[in-house]
Amino acid sequence: MQLHFKSFRNRLLVLFLGLIAVVQVAAFFIVNTAATNSARNQIDSALITTSGSFKELLEERTSSLLVAARLLSGDFAFKKAYATGDNKTILSALNNHRERIGADMMFLVSLDEQVIADTLHPEKHGAKFAYPGLIEAAEDNEYGEASAVLLVDGRPVQIVVVPLLTPTPDAWICVGFTIDDRMAKGLKEISNSEISFVTKSTKADWITVATTLPQQNISQLKSNLQSQHWKDNISTIFNLSDEQYVSLVVPLEKSSNRVLAVLQRSLDMALAPTRRLSLLLAGLFTLGLALSAVAAVIIARRVTRPVLTLVDGAHRVKEGDFKEPVIVQQQDELGELANSFNTMMSGLAERDRVRDLLGKVVSMEIAEELLSKDIELGGEEREVTVLFSDVRNFTQLCENRSPQEVLSILNAYLTRVSDVIESQGGVVDKFIGDAVMSLFGAPLNHADDGARAMRTATGMCEALKDLNKEFREQGKPELAIGIGINTAVVVAGNMGSQTRLNYTVIGDGVNLASRLEGLTKHYGVPVVVSRETRDAAPEFIYRELDLVCVKGKTEPVAIYQPIVCDENTQSETMETLEQYQVCLQHYRNRDWDSAIKCFVELSKRYPEDNLYQLYLARLESFKANPPPDDWNGVFEFKQK
Amino acid sequence: MRHFIFSSVVAVCLLSPTAFAASVSALVKDHKGKPLKDAVVTVYLSGNQKTKVQPAKTAIDQIDKEFVPHVLVVAKGSPVYFPNKDDIRHHVYSFSKPKKFELPLYKGTPAKPVVFDKSGVVKLGCNIHDWMLGYIYVVDTAHYGITDKAGKSQVSGLPVGDVKVMVWHPRMKGVPEKTEKQVKLSASGVNSVEFQIKARKAFRARRAPRAGGRKY
Repeated sequence: MQLHFKSFRNRLLVLFLGLIAVVQVAAFFIVNTAATNSARNQIDSALITTSGSFKELLEERTSSLLVAARLLSGDFAFKKAYATGDNKTILSALNNHRERIGADMMFLVSLDEQVIADTLHPEKHGAKFAYPGLIEAAEDNEYGEASAVLLVDGRPVQIVVVPLLTPTPDAWICVGFTIDDRMAKGLKEISNSEISFVTKSTKADWITVATTLPQQNISQLKSNLQSQHWKDNISTIFNLSDEQYVSLVVPLEKSSNRVLAVLQRSLDMALAPTRRLSLLLAGLFTLGLALSAVAAVIIARRVTRPVLTLVDGAHRVKEGDFKEPVIVQQQDELGELANSFNTMMSGLAERDRVRDLLGKVVSMEIAEELLSKDIELGGEEREVTVLFSDVRNFTQLCENRSPQEVLSILNAYLTRVSDVIESQGGVVDKFIGDAVMSLFGAPLNHADDGARAMRTATGMCEALKDLNKEFREQGKPELAIGIGINTAVVVAGNMGSQTRLNYTVIGDGVNLASRLEGLTKHYGVPVVVSRETRDAAPEFIYRELDLVCVKGKTEPVAIYQPIVCDENTQSETMETLEQYQVCLQHYRNRDWDSAIKCFVELSKRYPEDNLYQLYLARLESFKANPPPDDWNGVFEFKQK
Repeated sequence: MRHFIFSSVVAVCLLSPTAFAASVSALVKDHKGKPLKDAVVTVYLSGNQKTKVQPAKTAIDQIDKEFVPHVLVVAKGSPVYFPNKDDIRHHVYSFSKPKKFELPLYKGTPAKPVVFDKSGVVKLGCNIHDWMLGYIYVVDTAHYGITDKAGKSQVSGLPVGDVKVMVWHPRMKGVPEKTEKQVKLSASGVNSVEFQIKARKAFRARRAPRAGGRKY
């Protein structure tokens, strides 16, 4: 299996197991080290205890020796034998006593330190005693007693000296016990340690004089003593036959030549239980690690499964699918997260529904505008091109038709018209019965909002043509529309009450657009635009219609007809437009006759063009009733 | 370590116009100035002025498991009784050369005294009480004394003229002859002799043997 460390689960696993492994391994090493150290310390302290009891044993042996020697020295028969002065008798008595207590040797030494009798070397009679220090120690002692470990014939001997009392000291009785393998063995049984007695030879080599060690280890002990740095009474490790021994060197007290006892315990043997413990621990820790791994996998799954479910849910939300809630059974933080996620999802679904609905009630752009910011009353000044369209004679159309039929016709019409407006980036501000108010430049503005409005007007005409064709086929009445377009700075924003409001635009410019739409019928043209709109969309061809003063306004407005929608005017040429302009100039110069003559000429050529008829009628009227002298060519409308 | 103790004997010569009217006063001290008790002072006359040694009956008691006195001076040939004043038996012995003897366990005073017919030191012991120690110093002269606590001893009834003064002490190392002194006695005045003798450290046998060597 390939591990993907980018996966949260695997990282979690690795972290988990890593931590557990670190803790386990650290614990193992700590416990193992502690156990080993404790074993080592135990050996050390055991050895020190052993050395203590070892010294105690030696002292006790000395005491026993002293007791035995004292009894001998007080023996009256021996005193009598001594009093004979006969050397052979004395030696024989001495040997007799030696046998009694099982000693290895006995010496009788005179007060002036001459050998009277020596059981080891009878021939030494009369010689100077070889261990004057021993006698000196006895002389210093209150009771004339002393003990020491001495090398006799190269072997360490535990030796005691007591005076021969007759009744004052008359001679010194020395009793010696050799320190040998047997003694070492006896001590080993008590102290449970290997015991060796070593001493320095004349060549300053260490020689082992008595030991419990097997033969092959003796020379190694010697080399260890020579090569290693050791100190009295401080434990050291000696290697004997590839086995480690914790060793304690104890110098024997009162020894003239340096006689050492080496106490040893096998470290390997002492560590054996610790080793078993280590193995057990290692096994336990491995088992713990394995169990932890299983637990970690389960926990990681428990953690990551709901996370994956949530990820899946998030993907679905991204795709816009809010139907299925995320199902996480857990009651923990992840469960809470899933609940929150589901709440969020239903919130998003709700918002989506609101947005859809809003898009239907208001235009998509306004819906976005409303949703994108906090909705609050108030607006901003903007240059907007407002397009008003209206179905002509709608009231008449409604007559004799059922409301459903009217609604069906109206909906079909409004749908087409709305599509056109939206296709040009315009916004349907509101439907007012059969009328449509649309905006270009609010809430979103484009550089060519005027042109967009113009194109919308064209598109609406085209759409109506198609619709009328369908209506004809369905036997429905055909519709005609009028469009008024004005470009002006208006206030755009949310208007209404705190609880109920509309996004719309208000201002004179809006009213004018409505008025302009109203003028279409008068002038018999489909579209009327203001000069501002003409200037905003100069790429279209316009025909100046008039200079008017609409109701409620004092400022005259120049109104234009874009050469769109109208089949009658579209057939006219640029030359005609220029001639029309001449006619209009005559009219404005109050040159009624020239103007009439001019318009008559145009109307003859284009009898379907109602505008010429309109002007001819107005000229006839002016000719009869000329306008005031200060007339500036403005035609004033008294009604809407 | 050996101790060398030097003693001095001060002889005081008393003013006496007649023969055997002189006397010697001795003070025995060690080098620390400590007077030595139980030091035996013997005076030997020179030439023909030999006085006859007078043996005399005497005794050395055993009281509370000790010899009393600790040191007894007797003239050669003197019989000495060993009265046992304790309610237990004693076994008095000597392995000393001048007189080897043994009085096996007895109570009271043995009927026969022990006669010391050779001069020298006789160490007395008791076979059943190791610490019991006594000395009988057998002298071959009629002139002797033993020092008191102050280390003093006065020997009188001496003739005027040259005499040999010797000192012996139980702890003395070496023989008295080594430290003998020639003194010319005058009938009047103070005859004093100073001795410096080597002495061993006081030895003590255990008064009651211990049960064993255990120190705890």
